[in-house]
Amino acid sequence: MPKAVKGVLVECDPSIKAIILKIDHDKHDYIVEDLDDQHLVIKESQLPRLKERLEEVLADTQQMPDESGSD
Amino acid sequence: VVDQIRLWQIEGERMKSTVGFLFKDFLSAAEYEGLCQYAGDIGVLKWKNDAKRMFFVTRHEQVAAYLKSQKEKRREGG
Repeated sequence: MPKAVKGVLVECDPSIKAIILKIDHDKHDYIVEDLDDQHLVIKESQLPRLKERLEEVLADTQQMPDESGSD
Repeated sequence: VVDQIRLWQIEGERMKSTVGFLFKDFLSAAEYEGLCQYAGDIGVLKWKNDAKRMFFVTRHEQVAAYLKSQKEKRREGG
């Protein structure tokens, strides 16, 4: 008997997916199923938090080249 | 604030999210293929992987009803 699991399908490029996997690695609290290079299913209730965390990581990685490049 | 908006836009382009249901744990390829085909026919299929026998749909009610009707049909047939 197949199972139907509620969740959010996330489509993104592999680099973003790698970041999501890393965020999930701490507590395994976001990902329901890792589908392929560009798709994964996450818990619906965790989507806002994951977006926040992703933004933080993206902000961190983008500030560094900006700081070194501006002056 | 401007930075935050910019980041949000970048993220929005790179990441698309769709609420729905993941169907998995199919015991037979035939059962997977039949249901996956049906999901595609009614236009709710978003993603599938034949090797993993998994697919993601935006709505599950009709798909679940179809699965049930198939099971009943099989039972009636013997």
